[in-house]
Amino acid sequence: MTERRIGRWVGATAIVLFAAPLAVLVVQAFAEVWRYPALLPQQLGLRGFRVAFGSGDAGRATVDSLEVAVTTTALATVIAWPAARALARSHGPRRTAVLMVLALPLLVPPFATGTGLAEWFIRLGLADTRLGLVLAHLTVVLPYVLLVLIPAFSPRVIELEEMARSLGTGPVRRLLLVTLPSTGAVVAAAALLGFLVSWSQYGSSLAVGGGLPMLPLTLLPFVGADPTVAAALSLLFLVPAILALALASRGTREAL
Amino acid sequence: MDQGGAEIGGLACRGLTVARGKAPVLRGLDLEVPAGTRTVLVGPSGAGKTTLLRAIAGLESIDGGTIELGSRRIDRLAAHRRHCAVVFQEPRLLPHLDAAENVAFAMRAAGVGRRERRARATVLLADVGLDGFGARRVNELSGGEQQRIALARALCADPQILLLDEPLSAVDTNRREDLRSLIVALQQDRHLTTVFVTHDRAEAAQLGERVALMLEGRIVQHDEPRALFERPSSPIVARFFGSTNILRGVVRNGQMPVGDAIVAMPGPDGEACVTIRPERLRLDPDGPLELQVLEATYTGTGVRLKLADRELRLEATVPPAVAPVAGEWVGIALPLEDIWRIPSALPADAAGEPDPDLERWRS
Repeated sequence: MTERRIGRWVGATAIVLFAAPLAVLVVQAFAEVWRYPALLPQQLGLRGFRVAFGSGDAGRATVDSLEVAVTTTALATVIAWPAARALARSHGPRRTAVLMVLALPLLVPPFATGTGLAEWFIRLGLADTRLGLVLAHLTVVLPYVLLVLIPAFSPRVIELEEMARSLGTGPVRRLLLVTLPSTGAVVAAAALLGFLVSWSQYGSSLAVGGGLPMLPLTLLPFVGADPTVAAALSLLFLVPAILALALASRGTREAL
Repeated sequence: MDQGGAEIGGLACRGLTVARGKAPVLRGLDLEVPAGTRTVLVGPSGAGKTTLLRAIAGLESIDGGTIELGSRRIDRLAAHRRHCAVVFQEPRLLPHLDAAENVAFAMRAAGVGRRERRARATVLLADVGLDGFGARRVNELSGGEQQRIALARALCADPQILLLDEPLSAVDTNRREDLRSLIVALQQDRHLTTVFVTHDRAEAAQLGERVALMLEGRIVQHDEPRALFERPSSPIVARFFGSTNILRGVVRNGQMPVGDAIVAMPGPDGEACVTIRPERLRLDPDGPLELQVLEATYTGTGVRLKLADRELRLEATVPPAVAPVAGEWVGIALPLEDIWRIPSALPADAAGEPDPDLERWRS
């Protein structure tokens, strides 16, 4: 079998494995009556969506979640940028040590970090605020964004920047004309990951922002209790993720 | 039409010092390149040539000394304010832009409109021999073509000085000659002050209006190419430029013994160190010296002979047709006009066995 054909099979398998649960989700969202052991629902309808969006809670949570995820991602990217640059050019045991420390928040369950933060946030008046949620999400999002961003600053990119510097290009133009076009794919991937981590953040959201529920918090009570409503909310939950993925893959194509 | 019409200035580096950790890379280096002239900086790898070029361009910070370009002192300026354009060893083109936009990069960065940019790029592309390449994607081009684009891009920035860091090393050997002449022609047309870095002494000879030999972070001789080859200022310079026959002796009454021969030697009496290039030694049965051939190596352009008698060791390059074989005894003529008395040589420098550092430089 040629390499290309193997690749095709692997790709097809991956798509099926990825799509199967999502297809069930779509069916489930529109199912009014779906009794075991039928393969398809006995009755279809929009009850799931009516319940999910009837109260307006889901809509509000979506907007809040979007705001928090976008702000967190933007902040994380800005903070991680210079750090990733410095780490990309460093070598040796100190670099490994720094990377270990940076990855530490990923080893602690976000709920634990969030509970610790909540104690402080209550005293500082940040509990149940968007700012508090952004800060809590940053503890989880920042390491991901940073770790993904490091390979963006390859020697090739640094060389192109040097070329631009020697030709009289100031820092802002250099960023726009050289660095971003050359690192676009990696930056898009890092931002996408950051966004999705924040968007689906449950533990820290619950710990520091139970009073300002993010979308995952509004979804959870229905899981198990009412699968149809949970499926409808899950579809809503998927939309920005798929949009972000589409944007990122477009950015990747343009950069290459 | 020149954007901004930058004056062409001369370059003056004084006491330039760069250290990396504990190791000094540049040690109080002085270099002057008069306005509109071309200097080739040559030296073995590790001598600090690239560091010097990057320090001039502002890509490397310096620990001491000053750099002046024209009437400006530039060593404290950010790289993008120095008006130095660099052509690097690799083309460093932007893959997301076509050839014309790469050439016009400095104009794009300065906010010049597309039409004007492309018009200038078209002219410059023609100047570097890439007429009609404007819309080509740069990653479809050969290494030589990419380096021509990098050259046009540097010219497009209207620099006060053009710095080239071994720009031919990534180019096919048989394309190098063309690009080399192109660089010289462009430099002369535009009266660009230019520093060209290479580790290849033959390339230095062909390119340089003046050649500066750099060893261990200092310029040891800066002169016209012929002077470095024929009138080296020290045994180290002589060896780097292939003048491997370095002989010491004592001059008395204007004469110096060389092996069994006596040669006339102008200058003061006393210890002296002389050199003669291997290609200037002639085989001559009636010559004053008789030496045995230890080794005869065909080099493509000639035959390299290692010759010796009891005390004398010489190297000679002779045409293949007349070359003797190893073991033969041959007569050697010493053309007096080709013997150079090295002015600054201390006798110790010229001692028979070269030190390991010199051995490294010679390779």
